[in-house]
Amino acid sequence: MSKRRGLPTALILLTAVTLVSAALVRDGEGQALQGEYKVGVLEPLTGALAFEGKRHLEGMEIMRDMINERGGVMGKKLVFAVGDAVDPTAAASEANRLITREGVKIITGTFSSRLCGAASETAARHNVIYWETSCVDPRFNKRGLKNVFRTEIDATGFGWYNIEFIAKHLAPRFSLKPNELKIAFLSEDSSYGQGVTEAARDRARRDFGMQEVALEYYNFQTINDFTPIIAKLKQLNPDVVHHIAYSNDAPLFWRQSREQNFIFKALVHAGATGYGGADFGKATGADGNGPFALLEPGPGFRVEALRPEGQKIEREFRDAVQKKTGSYPLGGHQLAAGGLWVLKLVLDQAKTDELEKFRSAVMALDLPVGSVINGWGIKFSETGQNANERVQHYMLQWQNGQLVTVWPEEFSTLRAKWIPLGAWDQRK
Amino acid sequence: MGAVPQLVISTVLLGGIYALIAVGLTLIFGIMRVVNFAHGEFLMLGMYLAFWAFALWGLDPYVVLVGAVPIFFGVGLVTYALVMRGVVKASHNVQIFTTVGLSTALQNAALVVWTGDFRVVRPWHSGVVIRLGEAAFNLSQVVAFAVAVLFTAALVAFMKWTRAGRIMRATAQDVEAATLMGIDTDRVYRLAWAIGLVCVGIAGVLMSPLYSVYPTAGLQFVLLAYVVVVLGGLGDMMGALLGSLIVAAVEVIGSYLVGSAWKEVIYFVLFIAVLVFRPAGLFGQRGSETLGA
Repeated sequence: MSKRRGLPTALILLTAVTLVSAALVRDGEGQALQGEYKVGVLEPLTGALAFEGKRHLEGMEIMRDMINERGGVMGKKLVFAVGDAVDPTAAASEANRLITREGVKIITGTFSSRLCGAASETAARHNVIYWETSCVDPRFNKRGLKNVFRTEIDATGFGWYNIEFIAKHLAPRFSLKPNELKIAFLSEDSSYGQGVTEAARDRARRDFGMQEVALEYYNFQTINDFTPIIAKLKQLNPDVVHHIAYSNDAPLFWRQSREQNFIFKALVHAGATGYGGADFGKATGADGNGPFALLEPGPGFRVEALRPEGQKIEREFRDAVQKKTGSYPLGGHQLAAGGLWVLKLVLDQAKTDELEKFRSAVMALDLPVGSVINGWGIKFSETGQNANERVQHYMLQWQNGQLVTVWPEEFSTLRAKWIPLGAWDQRK
Repeated sequence: MGAVPQLVISTVLLGGIYALIAVGLTLIFGIMRVVNFAHGEFLMLGMYLAFWAFALWGLDPYVVLVGAVPIFFGVGLVTYALVMRGVVKASHNVQIFTTVGLSTALQNAALVVWTGDFRVVRPWHSGVVIRLGEAAFNLSQVVAFAVAVLFTAALVAFMKWTRAGRIMRATAQDVEAATLMGIDTDRVYRLAWAIGLVCVGIAGVLMSPLYSVYPTAGLQFVLLAYVVVVLGGLGDMMGALLGSLIVAAVEVIGSYLVGSAWKEVIYFVLFIAVLVFRPAGLFGQRGSETLGA
């Protein structure tokens, strides 16, 4: 009798132990998911910004699959309702559609600073959470909206990091003091370019007394020739060109600078487009050596410099991107996926998408630098902005067709080259 | 003063690129009285033709140029038969909606088929820099300029001294009289559309070594082409060439003197002024803007 009753009990215990062990081994992987949880994803999938919007969506999809392998969100399978935000008007109308037709309570996206403002206003009118992963417009979190959150650094942070790098890493290697540096600011004129440039100008002048020799804005969609700007800059002879660009204008400026033999000591950019995008390398080939771009980490990144939990998720994410795209994660992948992962952490903590409780969970999250993908930490301010100092960023440099991590040096196995930049034919 | 030679050369070469695009647009407008809002997308198709020929078979864009003429002539005949024939005699509103629709369809088809990635054509001549004293310029730009001048001259000659050209001009001047004279106006429109597309297709191929190739690449240039066409005189090909040089001069000198952010303000003020005070364009005959309307 006891033997008969003992066998099922042992089997039940064995099954329970196996299930618990499996759960402990892989952070919830393999859990049966109870239904679906739908999030709205808004990216520019057609039009001028589609090249980057599609990359962001790909990053989101890779991370969504990783999240579902790890127990989904709030125990449910994460699914997307996707909207195409081709321009600000479409961003607002698509946000409206996702909310009213698809019934989403959270929208995430949208890559561009041109789009995030309009889309998040719509979300605010419906009291829906807007989870921004990429746009850097400083105004995004300064409108008093309680429903908006941003995981990525804002443009102020981009400008802060760029000037930090120029003053503390480049200036000593030029044998110049920061206040002796002549800097020219060149930028496309969207809120992204203006946001980064104005923040950088402010810090360059206020904290380091750098000499601003030029400020030039242009429309990236209509610029066809940089030679007049280059002719002007050549006469001003800047040490550093601070250039915020998109993917069509960055290669054009670089190629025409070479043609015009415009020599400067360094060019510094910020963001996953322009000099920070893979397209720059394709466009310039071996002639593209030298420019710096502030980004998420690239090759040369010391993953072991992260905290153990950060190392684990970073490695798994890289493997997943490699498997799906055959390449190292690109900036768009990293921003979108990094942001979505943080959203999972918040939802799992909040266990609801009800705004007040969700917001409390966001504010309670406190992870040091190195804890999540891209080596980021998490600490949101009351405005819904992840603290710039927690969103660790890295300076990458184009070296022989590859964008590699060179700064901060404690996070990198590789080092910056061509400081200062020599003649155009000597950057090999 | 040291920058003057560079600014002059940049103006001339950039003007050549704009002329290449604008000549086809002004031809279509001059004969058919249709403002082709899909012009930029045909430019983009020319750039992709050069890109794929280079990427798949290593063909230099100048070799592709030879094939681009019959290809775009064929594209012109097909799109005319499928799209334009039905609207060429319709109101301007219908024509505008149709060509805007064609533009969006082509742009998004390119996006779906070729993705939004930026592509690059890098033949040997794209890296060749010619230095002339203080000024420097790219060999591919010089070739684009030379072809623009040759093409414009050839088109002017075709319109002036061939029977087909005379028939096209007659149709442009008075479509009803031309019909009464036994001219097959549908054939004329088809020919004008196809030649216009050949012009812009060739422009796309020639520009491919200079600019990135992507689905919305045409938008970068086509707005300027409209300004050029208005300045030069609607339907006037030599005017388009001169208008291109004016727009390029405004852009280059304006960027140098007052900053790039102002260049669009400057040439669109010029654009509006011409429309208000001299609607036939700076070089067009008075009243030509209403011909055939």
